[in-house]
Amino acid sequence: MAKIGDILLEVKNISKSYGSVVALTDVNMNVRAGEVVGLVGDNGAVKSTLVKVLSGAYQPTSGSIFLDGIERHWASPHEAIDAGIETLYQDSGLAPHLSVSANVFLGREKTVPGLLGRMGFLSQKYMDMTAHADLDRVGIAVPPSSRSVSRLSGGQRQAVAIGRAVSWASKVIILDEPTNHLGARQAGEVLAVIKAVKARGLGVIFISHTLPHVLQVTDRIVVLRLGKAVCNAPTSEFDADRLLGTITGLIETT
Amino acid sequence: MTPTASWTFKVFVKKLRMLLANQQFLLLVVLLAMIGFFTALNPIFFSSAVFGNILLDWGPVVLIAVGETFVVISGGIDLSVGANVGLSGVVAAYAMEAMTNSHQGQNFTIFIGLLVATGVGTFIGLINALLITKARIVPFIATLATLGAAGGMSIVFTGGGPIAGGPDKAITLSVPWLGPLSTPGIVVIILVTVIGLFLHKARFGRYTYAIGSNSFAARIAGINVQLHLTKVYALSGLLAGLAGMYFYLRLGSGAPTSGAGGELDAIAAVVIGGASLSGGIGRMSGTILGAFILTTVTSGLIIIGVAPDWKQVVVAVLIAAAVLVQGLRSSARDI
Repeated sequence: MAKIGDILLEVKNISKSYGSVVALTDVNMNVRAGEVVGLVGDNGAVKSTLVKVLSGAYQPTSGSIFLDGIERHWASPHEAIDAGIETLYQDSGLAPHLSVSANVFLGREKTVPGLLGRMGFLSQKYMDMTAHADLDRVGIAVPPSSRSVSRLSGGQRQAVAIGRAVSWASKVIILDEPTNHLGARQAGEVLAVIKAVKARGLGVIFISHTLPHVLQVTDRIVVLRLGKAVCNAPTSEFDADRLLGTITGLIETT
Repeated sequence: MTPTASWTFKVFVKKLRMLLANQQFLLLVVLLAMIGFFTALNPIFFSSAVFGNILLDWGPVVLIAVGETFVVISGGIDLSVGANVGLSGVVAAYAMEAMTNSHQGQNFTIFIGLLVATGVGTFIGLINALLITKARIVPFIATLATLGAAGGMSIVFTGGGPIAGGPDKAITLSVPWLGPLSTPGIVVIILVTVIGLFLHKARFGRYTYAIGSNSFAARIAGINVQLHLTKVYALSGLLAGLAGMYFYLRLGSGAPTSGAGGELDAIAAVVIGGASLSGGIGRMSGTILGAFILTTVTSGLIIIGVAPDWKQVVVAVLIAAAVLVQGLRSSARDI
């Protein structure tokens, strides 16, 4: 386990282009154990592209990714997940027809012991109970584990998605717009969960366009503009006006 | 009304609505109503001979419908299963004919025939999978292509006629010995039950639902979506190959047209059974009942003396009704 303050995940000179369209240019950033890094600015597509590179869903055109100081190449999200990086994607990370516990355990199902287990038969009771306990532990108001996700409210779905990511992450958790579409109280709960995750020594990358949430929960802020990381500074150096100015380019950075 | 009476009435209404929302229950009602209807028009319908015949017809339909259930739940479609039944039956028939000519044992010949039929079926399924996952062709077009290729090949190989000359023992295997059940029928029932458990209780089914529900979510959860879809289409092909062998055992020959239109029966059974063609929804019990309804309609219409071509019309109405019920249920859920 990394000590608080150690660099967990670091990217150096990451670029990503689609044919002639350049999305990211030479982006550098890192996240330390017990730190929340805010990622703000630009349009959603560019931020989401960076998220997908960090989580192994996309391969960068150039540049390198380091985890615990060792260079890694994720060929698929599976490899990033195995390495301890969990990602909460904006809106699309859950299978709506599956139950809450099936979603929490998706890809990591618990099977029954013995021969039937080797054939893939599932221990549904265990997963229902554990999913409930996991969500409960991170302080999320949980719906019944056997309910289909399509029957949950937007806030409940988000809670499940976050709970899923938090209960599996061992190093870094990437949250893409986790407070989107949430009411004030639910958003407050999500921010509290992020603080709890940070206290457990995980690194958190928090992507949001809701600047008050960014200022409230992060330790450091990376600002993206036109596909480049134009600013990387402690949150204490920002207030709302300065952050907005940096994002829009009204305040020049070097 | 006393409070107690109104309370029991409310409970009754609630229970009734829950039953009506249960597709399996509705299907059972439809099936029983059909049996009642056909029996009323011709009492001969209600006999073990007719039920035995319905069970015999049901075998191949449910085999390919079970494969189609996985495909549809995964968000795809397999149009090639009918042609696959024909081709795998024909190739197995040639193999068994050759072995019989060289005086191989009958049981061994049938066993090899079974391997050949399932091998050909699985091979077609794997080609579908390759076209869909590697060439990125949409399932409808990919399996339409293999439908054409397999259907064409079985006609070219045979010149259109059935291929006989296999072991004599083959056809006696289809004689019922356990009530109305024959050996192939028993095998189908066991197989369908086991595969149903894999759909609803095991990881294989869970992944199938997840991919059909949201393939991106499945992928980021670490599921190898392409590999799983490959298994799903291979399973569909394998079951079509088994259906080809089933026809061979029933007819004593491999006919290129034995599975013609089978894909429509399979899709009809799956949809009547409550699956959604947009993926993520469907149940094995629904497919099993859907296949029973299809074969009951076919036998029933013949027995009451109506031209069997009316089956298409009845099936069309059932499909429309099934989709309507599904729409009502999902809109009730949204409220």
